[in-house]
Amino acid sequence: MIVTFGLLALFFAFVVWTLHRNRVLDQSFTDYAVGGRSFGARYQAMSFLNTWYPGSMFTAFGALSVTAGVMSFYVLSYSLLIVVLLFVLARPVWIWGKTYELKTQGDLFALRYGSRHIRTIAAVIGVISGLPWLVLGMQALGNLFQAMSLGALSFSTSVVIGVIVIAVRQIWTVRMGMRGVVISDYVQGIVAYVFGGIMLVGLIVWLVQVRGATLWTIDPKLYEIPGLGSKEGPLYLFALMFTGALGGWCWPYIFVRLFTADGVRSLKKSAVLAVPLTFFFGVALLIFGMLASTIPEALAKPDDVWFIVSQQAGGVVLLGLAGVVLLAASMGHTDGNIQAYGAQLANDLVGNYVELDQRQMILIAKVGMLLLTLLASWLATLTLPALFSLAVLAYQGIIQLAIPQFLGIFWKKGNCEGAIAGMLAGFVTAVGLELAYGGQLPFGYGLTSGCFGLAANLAVYVTLAYLLPRSEEERLRIDALFAAVRRPRAVNATAGIRPQGQPI
Amino acid sequence: MSNDRSRAPGWRAAIKLWFLLDVVVALAPPLYWAMDGDMAPIAGVPAALFYFLAVNVFITASLVAAYLLDQADGESAA
Repeated sequence: MIVTFGLLALFFAFVVWTLHRNRVLDQSFTDYAVGGRSFGARYQAMSFLNTWYPGSMFTAFGALSVTAGVMSFYVLSYSLLIVVLLFVLARPVWIWGKTYELKTQGDLFALRYGSRHIRTIAAVIGVISGLPWLVLGMQALGNLFQAMSLGALSFSTSVVIGVIVIAVRQIWTVRMGMRGVVISDYVQGIVAYVFGGIMLVGLIVWLVQVRGATLWTIDPKLYEIPGLGSKEGPLYLFALMFTGALGGWCWPYIFVRLFTADGVRSLKKSAVLAVPLTFFFGVALLIFGMLASTIPEALAKPDDVWFIVSQQAGGVVLLGLAGVVLLAASMGHTDGNIQAYGAQLANDLVGNYVELDQRQMILIAKVGMLLLTLLASWLATLTLPALFSLAVLAYQGIIQLAIPQFLGIFWKKGNCEGAIAGMLAGFVTAVGLELAYGGQLPFGYGLTSGCFGLAANLAVYVTLAYLLPRSEEERLRIDALFAAVRRPRAVNATAGIRPQGQPI
Repeated sequence: MSNDRSRAPGWRAAIKLWFLLDVVVALAPPLYWAMDGDMAPIAGVPAALFYFLAVNVFITASLVAAYLLDQADGESAA
């Protein structure tokens, strides 16, 4: 226990030392919320990865690869599509962010649709949908601390310790805002995905060389993919990947990464740095899990496969390093969440209706983060049987932001009425179907409630875009917004109308 | 310079098409239905696994190509 907990403590101390060493006093809310838009490609890439992949990649998706095999690769497919979307979104979103001082996802909605109320709606959906995942992330640390105690601690005690550790870690998130998040993500990301990926390759070699596992000797059922006649439905995998890829950029803590870069070039370079790392890490993790299915202990407790195989291969030292990798991944995901929601509370909710100066905005964001940390910590220590169902339901809800977000960025015609009515129609459809049928729709062929919600959302958005008239003033405002992100030759031709695209 | 400019829209269209193909090969159900349970060896790995590896290499390559063209073009390729 001294070795495993000692390694965790050393890593925690190193992260805190790094943060102190790089502490800069934030001069404005833009500094605090988006790190002054000052980060280059390497920081952006690691920050994206460290926020995108939670610690549960090693537990939940590790377990999925042990039990469901090749099907688990869907997580890699949609993660890569999300990086492609990062590349596509980089230019319009960054330019709008810089030009109009956008700091949150809600700011972009308000700018595009010319309504401050849509900022509130987007923020409320984001915060409510994110809370169950934040709590689940904290609870997942229970697996980590129980494994690090070599079974000496009960699961409930381990959860409490995990919650305390991650809550203490948030002291620096609250103090340093986005700058602290990105700097720590850089360190944590290298440990979690570069060192973690190398560890995974080492463990694959160990599984093959020492345990005799091969891709040909694992259970043939691990090569089954839900298709025609499967109990999940033929479109189940499609639904997982489609909603996963669209939903990724709907999370406020992911979307805000588009505002923290120092330019479009850095964002695009960060995508090209992140994509091979995502591929390498994902392939290594999922093949590791498939090969580890040959180990009876891992098959019996698939959630702990990362710890079980590490301990068998390298004793308590490797087990401790496995713990460090998982802690690095978990901290990155949680602090990204807390920071983004704190900024939204100050900017999109309170600041949307009350006139606040820069200092007050930072103060409210800090208080919001503190309260959110305390609330999530408290919820994480409770036994909430419906929490996972709530989290699944939340995902079906948050992807309803995708229609007004993506169409709003790439299509001039959408309007505020369509965006709000579409989101509401989609949200009500998704939640209604989820409550009525509890996850598996008898008529869905594997499609989830969120897919039906998206269809309703899209239909309302497009219908109202064509039905409702648009004033000349609004048309000019939207034209100016899109002119701002056109490539140089086009921008010169329309530069004169930009001032009308001011944010609300 | 004028040569580069006239070539850029073509490259952008090609990259957009490649990104669209990324979505198709990753999401089109008939493709993965065809691989269900298939353990026939392709390039040394079972076919079902090869499918996912190939799709993910294809997506990764599209982004690398888009970035390189972007750099060569001095602006956005997609």
